Amino acid sequence: MSTKILVNEKGLPETLPANETGYLSNKRTGILIYASLFAVSLFLPVMITNEYILRIIIMVWIYSILALGLNFIVGFTGLLSFGHAAFYGIGSYVTAILMAQYGFNFFPVLAVSWGVTFIFGFLLGLPVVRIRGDYLVLVTLAFGEIFRLVMQGWQSLAGGQMGIVGIPPPSIFGFRIISNFHFYYLGLALTVFTFAVLGFLANSKIGRAMIAIREDELAASAMGINTAFYKLLNFAIGTGFAGIAGSFLAVYLSAIAPSNFTLGESVLMIVMVIVGGMGSLPGSIVGAAVLLFATELFRSVYQYRLLIIGLIMVVVLLWRPQGIMGLEAWQRSKKKRS
Amino acid sequence: MFFQQLINGVSLGAIYSLITIGYSMVYGIMKLMNFAHGDVYMFGAFVSFTLFATYKMNILLAALLGMLVGGLLAAIVEIFAYRRLRNENRAISMITALGAAYIIQNGEEIFWGVELQRFPSVFSSDTIHFLGLAVSTVQLFTLVFSVLLLIAFNMFLNYNKTGKAILCLAQDIPTTSLMGVPINRTISIVYALGGMLGVVGGILYASAYNVITITMGFSGTIAAFTAAVFGGIGNLTGAILGSLILGIVQSMVGAYISTSFRDVVSFSLLILILMVRPRGILGEKTVEKV
Repeated sequence: MSTKILVNEKGLPETLPANETGYLSNKRTGILIYASLFAVSLFLPVMITNEYILRIIIMVWIYSILALGLNFIVGFTGLLSFGHAAFYGIGSYVTAILMAQYGFNFFPVLAVSWGVTFIFGFLLGLPVVRIRGDYLVLVTLAFGEIFRLVMQGWQSLAGGQMGIVGIPPPSIFGFRIISNFHFYYLGLALTVFTFAVLGFLANSKIGRAMIAIREDELAASAMGINTAFYKLLNFAIGTGFAGIAGSFLAVYLSAIAPSNFTLGESVLMIVMVIVGGMGSLPGSIVGAAVLLFATELFRSVYQYRLLIIGLIMVVVLLWRPQGIMGLEAWQRSKKKRS
Repeated sequence: MFFQQLINGVSLGAIYSLITIGYSMVYGIMKLMNFAHGDVYMFGAFVSFTLFATYKMNILLAALLGMLVGGLLAAIVEIFAYRRLRNENRAISMITALGAAYIIQNGEEIFWGVELQRFPSVFSSDTIHFLGLAVSTVQLFTLVFSVLLLIAFNMFLNYNKTGKAILCLAQDIPTTSLMGVPINRTISIVYALGGMLGVVGGILYASAYNVITITMGFSGTIAAFTAAVFGGIGNLTGAILGSLILGIVQSMVGAYISTSFRDVVSFSLLILILMVRPRGILGEKTVEKV
């Protein structure tokens, strides 16, 4: 994991390390670690028979997909999006409408909702890449709120305040996915898929261009990187995965409502990304797991849950400002901006 | 009807401007989106509420004590949650701000509960009829008081030594530090002042609508954020202008369309404004350095 980065007197990396994203820095150990983690997660539901814990892990998968997509935006181009719950919602509503009202099968619908969310991300991305920095936070936040309020008011299409109920369970070649045990594997598959695709993109030419934009937008554009295009692409890809998570949520809960996609949800996703470590994809999964398990662990002391979550956020970041799995390099390169 | 709503909007905008100034000032100096702002000042407002409603204390004294608590709390949050992260990526102190907001919210929940509580009216419910318009004394007082407070604050910034130091900090922190200004103390003062103005805003808001509840904290943060961005974030005149626009838009939409569309319309308007002027109405174009 420790790629040594040579730093010149200005504090800038002298040569780009072989692997900017930091994970998989040593390919062989990286693959070994991932393979063993994957093997453990394959056998996890066989060992854990407790339905309640299984449910939490399924929610960890959903939020991992969301946090991974968001981290791709926040961690790789530095755009802070506070409207991720809206894209989660778009994926959910597309799935719910197509499955509950038109009776389509889950898997084609999954692809459709991915595509629709991607397109919405692209459309919102058009103003987003024009707006700089903190104004962006408010625009995305506003989009999220507008989406929720429109869904609340749209009785005919989205069922208004009550949302859509009776979404059928997904089936594959006649096999119906109904129990938590089944959903665990569906969630695992989608998370691995998201992780693999985003990991591949992060290490590709596209990912390097995005990191260059994050580090110094002006320098990146001087190097011939089309910054607007890459930011737009990055935003649309990241939001597209929120659509996948939304689809999964719709079939898992079999009912969705606007209250699933509040500003609080968007904030929670940002917290997961930053506590886990910006720019570190494994960090997003860790962040999702830490926050969800912390919330559930302290469910019995319900009146102190916010206190505990708040303390976790403050203490973790004071202890490790780069996040649990974040890299020192990313922290150092940001210091020069203060 | 139109002018009536305009007056309501201006009065709401005046309250917003008290809330927004603290938010925008912190942003102008620290470039921090202070997500704890709303909850900090609501805590102070709750303290005043208890002193006033339960212990029957004089409202001015209760408000002063509430301001003290709010200012202290803001400074404490700064010292514990932001100071050590000052040189880190700004997104990180934004999250610790959220963490602090959660902790304060939980504190409010334990002390005051989650239910909506009735805020006793501070003023007589008389209305003054003026050119065919009904202006309630609450509105009149809110307006006059906010304007006076804003003038006083402006004078503090421009003529007081500490105020001048705050303005210098907004321009350049390292240079200000070289001039012998105690940075840490001045920044704590900035937070405390923002919190104190916010407490006044919170009390006025609660007394204008006769309710007080803990969700007003976070929605206050969002309102302050929206208003600050409208005017150009970090710019104090812009903060007042943005607050007035937000107040007027909200009461117009509430009156002519529907109160449930208030936020949709003000957010949509905001996106439109940012498309035309990406740095807000009074925001200056900054030159980017390599």
